[in-house]
Amino acid sequence: MAVKMFDGNGAAVEAIRLARPGVIAAYPITPQSSIAEHLADCVAEGKIDAEYVRVESEHSAMSVSIGACLTGVRVATATASVGLALMHEVCGVTAGCRVPIVMPVVNRSLVAPWSLWCDHSDTMAERDTGWLQFYASTVQEILDLQLCAYRISEHEDVLTPSMVCFDGFYLSHSMQRVDTPSDEEAWDFVGPYVRKNMYLDPKDVMFINDLCPTVEHTEMKYQQKVGFDKAAGVAKDVFAEYEKRFGRKLSAVESYRLEDAEVAVVTIGSMSGTGKYVVNQLREKGIKAGLLRICMFRPFPAEEIREALQNVKVIGVMDRSSGLGAFQGPVCSEVKAALLGTSCQVYDFIGGIAGRDISDGSFRKIFGMLTDAAAGKELAGTTWFDVREDAMNLREVEMPC
Amino acid sequence: MQKIKFYGIGGQGAVTAAKVLSIAVSVYQNEYAITVPAYGHERRGAPVYAHIIVDDKPVLLNCYVYEPDIVAVFDDKIIDMGVNVGEGCTPDTVLVINTSSQEMVDRYRKEYGFKTIFACDATHAALENIGLNIPNSSMLGALAKTGIVTIDAVCQAVVEAFGKNGEKNGGAARYAYEHTCNA
Repeated sequence: MAVKMFDGNGAAVEAIRLARPGVIAAYPITPQSSIAEHLADCVAEGKIDAEYVRVESEHSAMSVSIGACLTGVRVATATASVGLALMHEVCGVTAGCRVPIVMPVVNRSLVAPWSLWCDHSDTMAERDTGWLQFYASTVQEILDLQLCAYRISEHEDVLTPSMVCFDGFYLSHSMQRVDTPSDEEAWDFVGPYVRKNMYLDPKDVMFINDLCPTVEHTEMKYQQKVGFDKAAGVAKDVFAEYEKRFGRKLSAVESYRLEDAEVAVVTIGSMSGTGKYVVNQLREKGIKAGLLRICMFRPFPAEEIREALQNVKVIGVMDRSSGLGAFQGPVCSEVKAALLGTSCQVYDFIGGIAGRDISDGSFRKIFGMLTDAAAGKELAGTTWFDVREDAMNLREVEMPC
Repeated sequence: MQKIKFYGIGGQGAVTAAKVLSIAVSVYQNEYAITVPAYGHERRGAPVYAHIIVDDKPVLLNCYVYEPDIVAVFDDKIIDMGVNVGEGCTPDTVLVINTSSQEMVDRYRKEYGFKTIFACDATHAALENIGLNIPNSSMLGALAKTGIVTIDAVCQAVVEAFGKNGEKNGGAARYAYEHTCNA
Protein backbone atom coordinates (compact mmCIF):
# COMPACT_ATOMS: atom_id res chain seq x y z
CA MET A 1 0.00 0.00 0.00
CA ALA A 2 1.49 3.32 -1.08
CA VAL A 3 0.37 6.90 -0.53
CA LYS A 4 -0.22 8.43 -3.96
CA MET A 5 -1.68 11.77 -4.94
CA PHE A 6 -4.66 11.68 -7.27
CA ASP A 7 -7.48 13.93 -8.24
CA GLY A 8 -10.80 12.12 -8.45
CA ASN A 9 -10.47 11.36 -12.14
CA GLY A 10 -6.94 10.06 -11.52
CA ALA A 11 -8.21 7.75 -8.79
CA ALA A 12 -10.86 6.38 -11.14
CA VAL A 13 -8.23 5.74 -13.82
CA GLU A 14 -5.97 4.03 -11.27
CA ALA A 15 -8.82 1.75 -10.16
CA ILE A 16 -9.57 0.87 -13.79
CA ARG A 17 -5.87 0.17 -14.46
CA LEU A 18 -5.73 -2.09 -11.39
CA ALA A 19 -8.78 -4.03 -12.67
CA ARG A 20 -7.03 -4.70 -16.03
CA PRO A 21 -9.79 -4.14 -18.60
CA GLY A 22 -9.37 -5.68 -22.07
CA VAL A 23 -11.47 -3.13 -23.95
CA ILE A 24 -11.97 0.58 -23.30
CA ALA A 25 -14.54 2.75 -25.11
CA ALA A 26 -14.99 6.25 -23.75
CA TYR A 27 -16.07 9.59 -25.11
CA PRO A 28 -14.58 12.64 -23.36
CA ILE A 29 -16.90 15.13 -21.68
CA THR A 30 -16.21 17.76 -19.03
CA PRO A 31 -15.51 17.09 -16.17
CA GLN A 32 -14.81 13.45 -17.05
CA SER A 33 -12.40 14.24 -19.92
CA SER A 34 -9.17 13.45 -18.12
CA ILE A 35 -10.45 9.92 -17.45
CA ALA A 36 -10.92 9.27 -21.18
CA GLU A 37 -7.56 10.95 -21.92
CA HIS A 38 -5.52 9.19 -19.23
CA LEU A 39 -6.99 5.81 -20.11
CA ALA A 40 -5.79 6.45 -23.66
CA ASP A 41 -2.34 7.36 -22.28
CA CYS A 42 -2.28 4.16 -20.24
CA VAL A 43 -3.03 2.07 -23.32
CA ALA A 44 -0.48 3.97 -25.44
CA GLU A 45 2.20 3.54 -22.77
CA GLY A 46 1.41 -0.14 -22.25
CA LYS A 47 0.22 0.32 -18.67
CA ILE A 48 -3.13 -1.19 -19.61
CA ASP A 49 -3.17 -4.06 -22.09
CA ALA A 50 -6.44 -3.11 -23.76
CA GLU A 51 -7.98 -2.18 -27.06
CA TYR A 52 -9.08 1.47 -26.91
CA VAL A 53 -12.05 2.08 -29.19
CA ARG A 54 -12.49 5.73 -30.13
CA VAL A 55 -16.24 6.09 -30.40
CA GLU A 56 -18.30 8.98 -31.75
CA SER A 57 -20.71 9.27 -28.83
CA GLU A 58 -21.62 7.97 -25.40
CA HIS A 59 -24.41 5.92 -26.97
CA SER A 60 -21.72 4.09 -28.90
CA ALA A 61 -19.35 3.94 -25.93
CA MET A 62 -21.86 1.92 -23.96
CA SER A 63 -22.85 -0.17 -26.98
CA VAL A 64 -19.21 -1.14 -27.61
CA SER A 65 -18.74 -1.83 -23.90
CA ILE A 66 -21.71 -4.20 -23.80
CA GLY A 67 -20.62 -6.11 -26.89
CA ALA A 68 -17.04 -6.40 -25.69
CA CYS A 69 -17.98 -7.44 -22.16
CA LEU A 70 -20.26 -10.18 -23.49
CA THR A 71 -17.28 -11.76 -25.26
CA GLY A 72 -15.72 -12.29 -21.86
CA VAL A 73 -13.46 -9.35 -21.02
CA ARG A 74 -13.70 -6.66 -18.37
CA VAL A 75 -14.41 -3.32 -20.03
CA ALA A 76 -14.03 0.31 -19.05
CA THR A 77 -15.93 3.46 -19.90
CA ALA A 78 -16.83 6.66 -18.07
CA THR A 79 -19.10 9.63 -18.60
CA ALA A 80 -20.88 12.65 -17.13
CA SER A 81 -23.99 14.78 -17.45
CA VAL A 82 -25.49 14.95 -20.95
CA GLY A 83 -23.15 12.13 -21.94
CA LEU A 84 -24.94 9.91 -19.46
CA ALA A 85 -28.26 11.22 -20.74
CA LEU A 86 -27.30 10.27 -24.30
CA MET A 87 -26.28 6.85 -22.97
CA HIS A 88 -29.60 6.39 -21.17
CA GLU A 89 -31.19 4.00 -23.67
CA VAL A 90 -28.15 1.75 -23.77
CA CYS A 91 -27.75 1.86 -19.98
CA GLY A 92 -31.05 0.03 -19.84
CA VAL A 93 -29.67 -2.59 -22.23
CA THR A 94 -26.60 -3.08 -20.02
CA ALA A 95 -28.77 -3.66 -16.98
CA GLY A 96 -31.42 -5.78 -18.66
CA CYS A 97 -28.87 -8.01 -20.40
CA ARG A 98 -27.15 -8.37 -17.02
CA VAL A 99 -23.79 -7.07 -18.28
CA PRO A 100 -21.79 -6.22 -15.15
CA ILE A 101 -20.00 -3.07 -16.32
CA VAL A 102 -18.54 -0.72 -13.71
CA MET A 103 -18.63 2.91 -14.84
CA PRO A 104 -17.35 6.05 -13.12
CA VAL A 105 -19.81 8.90 -13.58
CA VAL A 106 -18.56 12.39 -12.80
CA ASN A 107 -21.60 14.28 -11.55
CA ARG A 108 -22.48 17.35 -13.58
CA SER A 109 -25.73 19.19 -14.06
CA LEU A 110 -28.11 18.37 -16.90
CA VAL A 111 -29.29 21.03 -19.35
CA ALA A 112 -30.78 23.63 -19.54
CA PRO A 113 -29.38 26.20 -18.66
CA TRP A 114 -26.10 24.77 -19.90
CA SER A 115 -23.63 24.09 -17.12
CA LEU A 116 -20.32 22.35 -16.62
CA TRP A 117 -20.61 22.11 -12.87
CA CYS A 118 -21.63 19.68 -10.23
CA ASP A 119 -25.02 18.49 -9.18
CA HIS A 120 -26.68 15.10 -9.14
CA SER A 121 -29.36 15.63 -11.79
CA ASP A 122 -27.50 13.35 -14.23
CA THR A 123 -27.25 10.22 -12.08
CA MET A 124 -30.53 10.81 -10.25
CA ALA A 125 -32.21 10.68 -13.66
CA GLU A 126 -30.69 7.18 -14.05
CA ARG A 127 -31.61 5.93 -10.60
CA ASP A 128 -34.27 3.51 -11.86
CA THR A 129 -32.36 2.31 -14.95
CA GLY A 130 -31.27 -0.89 -13.27
CA TRP A 131 -27.75 0.08 -12.24
CA LEU A 132 -26.25 -0.07 -8.78
CA GLN A 133 -25.23 3.42 -7.67
CA PHE A 134 -22.47 4.36 -5.26
CA TYR A 135 -21.67 7.98 -4.35
CA ALA A 136 -18.13 8.74 -3.17
CA SER A 137 -17.43 11.40 -0.57
CA THR A 138 -13.64 11.59 -0.99
CA VAL A 139 -11.08 10.82 -3.67
CA GLN A 140 -9.92 7.83 -1.61
CA GLU A 141 -13.41 6.44 -1.73
CA ILE A 142 -13.58 6.67 -5.53
CA LEU A 143 -10.74 4.16 -5.73
CA ASP A 144 -12.15 1.99 -2.94
CA LEU A 145 -15.72 1.90 -4.27
CA GLN A 146 -14.63 1.28 -7.83
CA LEU A 147 -12.56 -1.76 -6.83
CA CYS A 148 -15.42 -3.10 -4.70
CA ALA A 149 -17.97 -2.43 -7.44
CA TYR A 150 -16.26 -4.92 -9.80
CA ARG A 151 -16.71 -7.62 -7.20
CA ILE A 152 -20.30 -6.68 -6.42
CA SER A 153 -21.46 -6.21 -10.02
CA GLU A 154 -19.76 -9.34 -11.32
CA HIS A 155 -21.01 -11.59 -8.49
CA GLU A 156 -23.09 -14.42 -9.98
CA ASP A 157 -26.09 -13.55 -7.80
CA VAL A 158 -25.98 -9.87 -8.83
CA LEU A 159 -24.84 -9.48 -12.47
CA THR A 160 -25.91 -5.87 -12.45
CA PRO A 161 -23.82 -2.90 -13.63
CA SER A 162 -22.54 -0.18 -11.28
CA MET A 163 -22.21 3.57 -11.52
CA VAL A 164 -19.51 4.92 -9.22
CA CYS A 165 -20.67 8.52 -8.94
CA PHE A 166 -18.51 11.40 -7.79
CA ASP A 167 -18.95 15.14 -7.78
CA GLY A 168 -17.55 17.09 -10.71
CA PHE A 169 -14.67 19.39 -9.71
CA TYR A 170 -15.26 18.94 -5.95
CA LEU A 171 -13.82 15.45 -6.34
CA SER A 172 -12.93 14.99 -10.01
CA HIS A 173 -10.42 17.86 -9.89
CA SER A 174 -9.54 17.86 -6.18
CA MET A 175 -6.04 16.55 -5.49
CA GLN A 176 -6.04 14.33 -2.40
CA ARG A 177 -3.84 11.65 -0.87
CA VAL A 178 -4.96 8.15 -1.67
CA ASP A 179 -3.73 4.94 -0.05
CA THR A 180 -3.33 2.80 -3.11
CA PRO A 181 -2.94 -0.97 -3.15
CA SER A 182 -0.14 -2.45 -5.21
CA ASP A 183 -1.00 -4.02 -8.57
CA GLU A 184 -0.74 -7.49 -7.02
CA GLU A 185 -2.81 -6.67 -3.94
CA ALA A 186 -5.56 -5.13 -6.06
CA TRP A 187 -5.55 -7.99 -8.57
CA ASP A 188 -5.74 -10.52 -5.76
CA PHE A 189 -8.90 -8.72 -4.58
CA VAL A 190 -10.62 -7.93 -7.89
CA GLY A 191 -9.54 -11.04 -9.81
CA PRO A 192 -9.89 -11.75 -13.51
CA TYR A 193 -13.22 -11.26 -15.28
CA VAL A 194 -15.20 -14.47 -15.58
CA ARG A 195 -18.35 -14.54 -17.72
CA LYS A 196 -21.26 -16.03 -15.84
CA ASN A 197 -24.23 -15.49 -18.13
CA MET A 198 -25.11 -15.01 -21.79
CA TYR A 199 -22.03 -14.53 -23.96
CA LEU A 200 -21.11 -13.59 -27.49
CA ASP A 201 -18.85 -15.73 -29.62
CA PRO A 202 -17.22 -13.37 -32.16
CA LYS A 203 -16.92 -16.35 -34.56
CA ASP A 204 -20.61 -17.14 -34.31
CA VAL A 205 -22.35 -13.83 -33.65
CA MET A 206 -25.94 -13.54 -32.57
CA PHE A 207 -28.57 -10.88 -31.99
CA ILE A 208 -29.06 -9.76 -28.39
CA ASN A 209 -31.76 -7.67 -26.75
CA ASP A 210 -34.43 -8.87 -29.14
CA LEU A 211 -38.17 -8.61 -28.51
CA CYS A 212 -39.31 -10.11 -25.20
CA PRO A 213 -43.02 -10.97 -25.06
CA THR A 214 -45.26 -9.70 -22.30
CA VAL A 215 -45.66 -13.19 -20.88
CA GLU A 216 -41.97 -13.19 -19.90
CA HIS A 217 -41.11 -9.53 -19.51
CA THR A 218 -42.34 -9.10 -15.94
CA GLU A 219 -40.32 -12.14 -14.96
CA MET A 220 -37.16 -10.78 -16.59
CA LYS A 221 -37.62 -7.57 -14.60
CA TYR A 222 -38.26 -9.64 -11.50
CA GLN A 223 -34.92 -11.37 -12.03
CA GLN A 224 -33.27 -7.96 -12.08
CA LYS A 225 -35.09 -7.00 -8.88
CA VAL A 226 -33.77 -10.17 -7.22
CA GLY A 227 -30.29 -9.17 -8.42
CA PHE A 228 -30.69 -5.90 -6.54
CA ASP A 229 -31.96 -7.70 -3.44
CA LYS A 230 -28.87 -9.91 -3.50
CA ALA A 231 -26.57 -6.96 -4.21
CA ALA A 232 -27.22 -5.50 -0.75
CA GLY A 233 -25.85 -8.59 0.99
CA VAL A 234 -23.02 -9.07 -1.50
CA ALA A 235 -21.97 -5.43 -1.03
CA LYS A 236 -21.83 -5.94 2.72
CA ASP A 237 -19.58 -9.00 2.30
CA VAL A 238 -17.35 -7.30 -0.26
CA PHE A 239 -16.98 -4.18 1.91
CA ALA A 240 -16.07 -6.39 4.90
CA GLU A 241 -13.44 -8.23 2.87
CA TYR A 242 -12.08 -4.93 1.56
CA GLU A 243 -11.71 -3.59 5.11
CA LYS A 244 -9.94 -6.76 6.19
CA ARG A 245 -7.50 -6.53 3.30
CA PHE A 246 -6.92 -2.80 3.08
CA GLY A 247 -8.05 -1.40 6.43
CA ARG A 248 -10.63 1.05 5.14
CA LYS A 249 -14.24 0.76 6.20
CA LEU A 250 -16.95 1.10 3.57
CA SER A 251 -20.66 0.80 4.14
CA ALA A 252 -23.98 1.45 2.44
CA VAL A 253 -24.64 4.26 4.90
CA GLU A 254 -22.29 6.00 7.30
CA SER A 255 -23.57 7.25 10.66
CA TYR A 256 -21.78 10.24 12.12
CA ARG A 257 -22.47 11.23 15.75
CA LEU A 258 -26.06 9.98 15.50
CA GLU A 259 -26.21 7.98 18.78
CA ASP A 260 -28.01 10.68 20.79
CA ALA A 261 -28.73 13.15 17.95
CA GLU A 262 -31.90 15.24 18.08
CA VAL A 263 -31.35 16.92 14.71
CA ALA A 264 -29.57 15.40 11.73
CA VAL A 265 -28.88 15.90 8.08
CA VAL A 266 -28.75 13.20 5.42
CA THR A 267 -26.02 13.82 2.85
CA ILE A 268 -24.73 12.21 -0.33
CA GLY A 269 -21.45 12.87 -2.12
CA SER A 270 -18.72 15.42 -1.53
CA MET A 271 -20.82 17.72 0.68
CA SER A 272 -20.64 15.11 3.44
CA GLY A 273 -17.30 16.14 4.93
CA THR A 274 -18.43 19.74 5.20
CA GLY A 275 -21.58 18.51 6.94
CA LYS A 276 -19.51 16.53 9.45
CA TYR A 277 -17.35 19.58 10.12
CA VAL A 278 -20.46 21.58 11.03
CA VAL A 279 -21.81 18.72 13.19
CA ASN A 280 -18.57 18.89 15.19
CA GLN A 281 -18.91 22.67 15.55
CA LEU A 282 -22.50 22.33 16.78
CA ARG A 283 -21.58 19.55 19.19
CA GLU A 284 -19.03 21.87 20.76
CA LYS A 285 -21.88 24.28 21.41
CA GLY A 286 -23.92 21.51 23.05
CA ILE A 287 -26.33 21.01 20.14
CA LYS A 288 -27.06 17.34 19.60
CA ALA A 289 -26.46 17.25 15.86
CA GLY A 290 -25.64 14.25 13.67
CA LEU A 291 -25.27 13.19 10.06
CA LEU A 292 -26.11 10.19 7.95
CA ARG A 293 -24.28 9.78 4.66
CA ILE A 294 -25.76 7.63 1.95
CA CYS A 295 -22.96 5.92 0.04
CA MET A 296 -24.98 3.23 -1.75
CA PHE A 297 -28.10 4.71 -3.30
CA ARG A 298 -29.00 1.62 -5.40
CA PRO A 299 -29.98 -0.75 -3.97
CA PHE A 300 -31.48 1.75 -1.54
CA PRO A 301 -30.43 0.79 1.99
CA ALA A 302 -33.83 1.47 3.58
CA GLU A 303 -33.35 -0.76 6.62
CA GLU A 304 -29.98 0.71 7.55
CA ILE A 305 -31.37 4.22 7.15
CA ARG A 306 -34.36 3.44 9.34
CA GLU A 307 -32.11 1.83 11.94
CA ALA A 308 -29.79 4.84 12.01
CA LEU A 309 -32.40 7.60 12.00
CA GLN A 310 -35.50 6.26 13.75
CA ASN A 311 -34.72 7.97 17.05
CA VAL A 312 -33.79 11.35 15.57
CA LYS A 313 -36.55 13.91 16.07
CA VAL A 314 -35.95 16.25 13.13
CA ILE A 315 -34.14 15.32 9.91
CA GLY A 316 -33.10 17.44 6.93
CA VAL A 317 -32.31 15.60 3.70
CA MET A 318 -29.94 17.25 1.25
CA ASP A 319 -30.92 16.90 -2.40
CA ARG A 320 -28.35 18.10 -4.92
CA SER A 321 -30.82 17.99 -7.79
CA SER A 322 -33.95 20.01 -8.33
CA GLY A 323 -36.51 17.20 -8.49
CA LEU A 324 -38.70 19.48 -10.58
CA GLY A 325 -42.39 18.86 -10.11
CA ALA A 326 -41.86 16.28 -7.37
CA PHE A 327 -43.33 16.75 -3.90
CA GLN A 328 -39.79 16.34 -2.57
CA GLY A 329 -36.39 15.61 -4.13
CA PRO A 330 -35.33 12.06 -4.98
CA VAL A 331 -33.14 11.47 -1.93
CA CYS A 332 -35.68 12.90 0.50
CA SER A 333 -38.60 10.99 -1.01
CA GLU A 334 -36.82 7.70 -0.46
CA VAL A 335 -35.47 8.51 2.99
CA LYS A 336 -38.99 9.47 4.01
CA ALA A 337 -40.36 6.21 2.63
CA ALA A 338 -37.74 4.33 4.65
CA LEU A 339 -38.89 6.14 7.80
CA LEU A 340 -42.58 5.39 7.29
CA GLY A 341 -44.23 4.65 10.63
CA THR A 342 -41.60 6.43 12.74
CA SER A 343 -42.27 9.78 14.40
CA CYS A 344 -39.34 11.49 12.63
CA GLN A 345 -40.09 14.88 11.06
CA VAL A 346 -38.37 14.86 7.65
CA TYR A 347 -37.69 17.99 5.58
CA ASP A 348 -36.08 18.39 2.18
CA PHE A 349 -33.31 20.88 1.37
CA ILE A 350 -32.61 21.41 -2.31
CA GLY A 351 -29.44 23.21 -3.39
CA GLY A 352 -25.88 22.93 -4.58
CA ILE A 353 -27.25 23.10 -8.11
CA ALA A 354 -24.86 23.42 -11.06
CA GLY A 355 -21.77 24.03 -8.95
CA ARG A 356 -23.24 26.30 -6.32
CA ASP A 357 -21.07 25.65 -3.29
CA ILE A 358 -22.60 23.83 -0.31
CA SER A 359 -20.52 25.54 2.35
CA ASP A 360 -20.19 25.16 6.10
CA GLY A 361 -22.39 28.27 6.21
CA SER A 362 -25.09 26.45 4.21
CA PHE A 363 -25.10 23.61 6.72
CA ARG A 364 -25.16 26.00 9.70
CA LYS A 365 -28.26 27.68 8.26
CA ILE A 366 -29.97 24.34 7.62
CA PHE A 367 -29.17 23.03 11.09
CA GLY A 368 -30.56 26.32 12.45
CA MET A 369 -33.87 25.68 10.67
CA LEU A 370 -33.93 22.08 11.90
CA THR A 371 -33.27 23.16 15.48
CA ASP A 372 -36.08 25.71 15.22
CA ALA A 373 -38.37 23.01 13.87
CA ALA A 374 -37.44 20.77 16.80
CA ALA A 375 -38.51 23.64 19.07
CA GLY A 376 -41.89 23.74 17.38
CA LYS A 377 -41.41 26.32 14.65
CA GLU A 378 -43.11 25.59 11.36
CA LEU A 379 -40.89 24.56 8.46
CA ALA A 380 -41.89 23.96 4.84
CA GLY A 381 -41.65 20.39 3.56
CA THR A 382 -39.14 21.51 0.93
CA THR A 383 -36.73 24.44 1.18
CA TRP A 384 -34.48 25.61 -1.64
CA PHE A 385 -31.38 26.89 0.16
CA ASP A 386 -28.85 29.59 -0.83
CA VAL A 387 -31.15 30.99 -3.51
CA ARG A 388 -30.49 34.56 -4.63
CA GLU A 389 -33.15 37.03 -3.60
CA ASP A 390 -33.45 38.34 -7.15
CA ALA A 391 -34.21 34.84 -8.50
CA MET A 392 -37.44 35.83 -10.23
CA ASN A 393 -35.92 38.93 -11.84
CA LEU A 394 -32.91 37.20 -13.43
CA ARG A 395 -32.76 37.25 -17.22
CA GLU A 396 -36.21 38.78 -17.40
CA VAL A 397 -37.42 39.24 -20.97
CA GLU A 398 -39.40 42.31 -21.88
CA MET A 399 -42.22 41.49 -24.23
CA PRO A 400 -42.48 43.83 -27.21
CA CYS A 401 -46.26 44.21 -26.98
CA MET B 1 -6.38 24.36 10.08
CA GLN B 2 -5.26 26.97 7.57
CA LYS B 3 -7.42 28.14 4.68
CA ILE B 4 -5.72 29.50 1.60
CA LYS B 5 -7.10 31.18 -1.50
CA PHE B 6 -5.17 31.62 -4.74
CA TYR B 7 -6.03 34.42 -7.15
CA GLY B 8 -4.47 34.20 -10.57
CA ILE B 9 -4.98 34.92 -14.22
CA GLY B 10 -5.70 32.11 -16.68
CA GLY B 11 -2.40 30.72 -17.99
CA GLN B 12 -0.34 31.42 -14.85
CA GLY B 13 -0.89 27.95 -13.44
CA ALA B 14 -2.67 28.88 -10.20
CA VAL B 15 -4.87 25.77 -10.29
CA THR B 16 -1.82 23.58 -10.95
CA ALA B 17 -0.03 25.35 -8.09
CA ALA B 18 -2.89 24.40 -5.75
CA LYS B 19 -2.52 20.75 -6.73
CA VAL B 20 1.26 20.89 -6.27
CA LEU B 21 0.82 22.52 -2.84
CA SER B 22 -1.47 19.64 -1.97
CA ILE B 23 1.27 17.17 -2.94
CA ALA B 24 3.88 19.10 -0.93
CA VAL B 25 1.76 19.08 2.22
CA SER B 26 0.39 15.54 1.88
CA VAL B 27 3.42 13.62 0.67
CA TYR B 28 6.47 15.63 1.75
CA GLN B 29 5.14 17.13 4.97
CA ASN B 30 2.91 14.17 5.96
CA GLU B 31 -0.05 16.41 6.72
CA TYR B 32 -3.39 16.77 4.95
CA ALA B 33 -4.63 19.12 2.26
CA ILE B 34 -7.70 19.46 0.13
CA THR B 35 -7.93 21.53 -3.03
CA VAL B 36 -11.20 22.83 -4.41
CA PRO B 37 -10.54 24.45 -7.75
CA ALA B 38 -13.13 26.97 -8.90
CA TYR B 39 -13.19 26.30 -12.62
CA GLY B 40 -15.02 28.88 -14.65
CA HIS B 41 -15.36 29.63 -18.32
CA GLU B 42 -11.59 29.44 -18.54
CA ARG B 43 -9.63 31.40 -20.99
CA ARG B 44 -6.16 32.83 -20.97
CA GLY B 45 -6.21 36.19 -19.23
CA ALA B 46 -9.37 35.72 -17.15
CA PRO B 47 -9.26 35.67 -13.32
CA VAL B 48 -9.05 32.15 -11.81
CA TYR B 49 -9.31 30.98 -8.22
CA ALA B 50 -8.26 27.95 -6.24
CA HIS B 51 -9.07 27.06 -2.66
CA ILE B 52 -6.83 24.96 -0.43
CA ILE B 53 -7.35 23.79 3.15
CA VAL B 54 -4.35 22.44 5.07
CA ASP B 55 -4.43 20.66 8.42
CA ASP B 56 -2.38 18.27 10.53
CA LYS B 57 -5.37 15.91 10.57
CA PRO B 58 -7.66 14.73 7.74
CA VAL B 59 -9.62 17.66 6.31
CA LEU B 60 -13.40 17.30 6.54
CA LEU B 61 -14.35 20.54 4.81
CA ASN B 62 -14.85 20.17 1.08
CA CYS B 63 -16.08 23.60 0.03
CA TYR B 64 -14.68 26.93 -1.02
CA VAL B 65 -12.65 29.13 1.31
CA TYR B 66 -14.66 32.14 2.45
CA GLU B 67 -12.44 33.39 5.29
CA PRO B 68 -8.86 32.83 4.15
CA ASP B 69 -5.91 32.80 6.54
CA ILE B 70 -3.59 33.26 3.57
CA VAL B 71 -4.25 34.91 0.21
CA ALA B 72 -1.83 34.38 -2.66
CA VAL B 73 -2.05 36.83 -5.56
CA PHE B 74 -0.28 35.51 -8.67
CA ASP B 75 -0.59 38.81 -10.56
CA ASP B 76 -0.71 42.25 -8.96
CA LYS B 77 -2.96 43.52 -11.79
CA ILE B 78 -5.84 41.53 -10.23
CA ILE B 79 -6.67 44.59 -8.14
CA ASP B 80 -7.66 46.44 -11.32
CA MET B 81 -9.74 43.57 -12.77
CA GLY B 82 -12.78 43.96 -10.56
CA VAL B 83 -11.68 41.15 -8.23
CA ASN B 84 -11.89 41.78 -4.48
CA VAL B 85 -9.00 39.82 -2.99
CA GLY B 86 -9.89 41.20 0.44
CA GLU B 87 -13.21 39.32 0.47
CA GLY B 88 -13.61 37.46 3.76
CA CYS B 89 -10.20 38.61 5.01
CA THR B 90 -9.38 39.93 8.45
CA PRO B 91 -6.34 42.13 9.29
CA ASP B 92 -4.64 38.87 10.35
CA THR B 93 -4.96 37.36 6.88
CA VAL B 94 -1.51 37.09 5.33
CA LEU B 95 -0.99 38.25 1.74
CA VAL B 96 1.60 36.68 -0.55
CA ILE B 97 1.89 38.70 -3.73
CA ASN B 98 3.77 38.48 -6.99
CA THR B 99 4.96 42.04 -7.58
CA SER B 100 8.06 44.06 -8.27
CA SER B 101 6.50 47.29 -7.07
CA GLN B 102 6.46 48.77 -3.56
CA GLU B 103 3.68 51.00 -4.79
CA MET B 104 1.50 47.94 -5.48
CA VAL B 105 2.27 46.49 -2.05
CA ASP B 106 1.14 49.78 -0.52
CA ARG B 107 -2.06 49.75 -2.59
CA TYR B 108 -2.97 46.23 -1.43
CA ARG B 109 -2.22 47.16 2.18
CA LYS B 110 -4.30 50.34 2.01
CA GLU B 111 -7.19 48.83 0.05
CA TYR B 112 -7.63 45.62 2.06
CA GLY B 113 -5.87 46.26 5.39
CA PHE B 114 -3.39 43.35 5.27
CA LYS B 115 -0.91 43.68 8.16
CA THR B 116 1.47 41.01 6.93
CA ILE B 117 2.54 40.99 3.30
CA PHE B 118 5.16 38.78 1.69
CA ALA B 119 6.22 40.17 -1.66
CA CYS B 120 8.17 38.39 -4.35
CA ASP B 121 8.90 39.10 -7.97
CA ALA B 122 7.78 35.62 -8.93
CA THR B 123 7.54 36.53 -12.60
CA HIS B 124 11.23 37.45 -12.58
CA ALA B 125 12.07 34.27 -10.68
CA ALA B 126 10.22 32.25 -13.31
CA LEU B 127 11.84 34.03 -16.28
CA GLU B 128 15.25 33.68 -14.66
CA ASN B 129 14.95 29.96 -13.88
CA ILE B 130 12.57 28.43 -16.40
CA GLY B 131 12.62 31.07 -19.12
CA LEU B 132 8.81 31.30 -19.15
CA ASN B 133 6.36 33.76 -17.69
CA ILE B 134 4.60 31.09 -15.60
CA PRO B 135 5.03 32.11 -11.97
CA ASN B 136 3.26 29.19 -10.27
CA SER B 137 6.28 27.28 -8.98
CA SER B 138 7.86 30.56 -7.86
CA MET B 139 4.72 31.55 -5.99
CA LEU B 140 4.81 28.26 -4.10
CA GLY B 141 8.36 29.12 -3.05
CA ALA B 142 7.19 32.52 -1.85
CA LEU B 143 4.27 30.89 -0.04
CA ALA B 144 6.72 28.79 1.98
CA LYS B 145 7.81 32.04 3.71
CA THR B 146 4.46 32.02 5.55
CA GLY B 147 5.40 28.75 7.27
CA ILE B 148 2.36 26.88 5.89
CA VAL B 149 4.69 24.52 4.08
CA THR B 150 8.46 24.03 4.13
CA ILE B 151 10.52 25.11 1.13
CA ASP B 152 11.99 21.60 0.95
CA ALA B 153 8.52 20.06 0.68
CA VAL B 154 7.63 22.61 -2.02
CA CYS B 155 10.75 21.88 -4.04
CA GLN B 156 10.29 18.11 -3.85
CA ALA B 157 6.64 18.39 -4.92
CA VAL B 158 7.48 20.78 -7.75
CA VAL B 159 10.23 18.49 -9.06
CA GLU B 160 7.80 15.54 -8.94
CA ALA B 161 4.89 17.37 -10.55
CA PHE B 162 6.64 19.19 -13.39
CA GLY B 163 8.25 16.15 -14.97
CA LYS B 164 11.10 17.03 -17.35
CA ASN B 165 10.92 20.67 -16.27
CA GLY B 166 10.90 19.66 -12.61
CA GLU B 167 14.45 20.66 -11.71
CA LYS B 168 14.14 24.11 -13.31
CA ASN B 169 10.84 24.76 -11.57
CA GLY B 170 12.27 23.52 -8.29
CA GLY B 171 15.06 26.03 -8.83
CA ALA B 172 12.51 28.78 -9.46
CA ALA B 173 10.68 27.92 -6.23
CA ARG B 174 13.87 28.06 -4.16
CA TYR B 175 15.06 31.24 -5.89
CA ALA B 176 11.68 32.88 -5.18
CA TYR B 177 11.77 31.72 -1.56
CA GLU B 178 15.17 33.32 -1.13
CA HIS B 179 13.98 36.54 -2.77
CA THR B 180 10.73 36.97 -0.83
CA CYS B 181 10.62 39.85 1.59
CA ASN B 182 8.31 40.76 4.42
CA ALA B 183 7.15 43.97 2.77
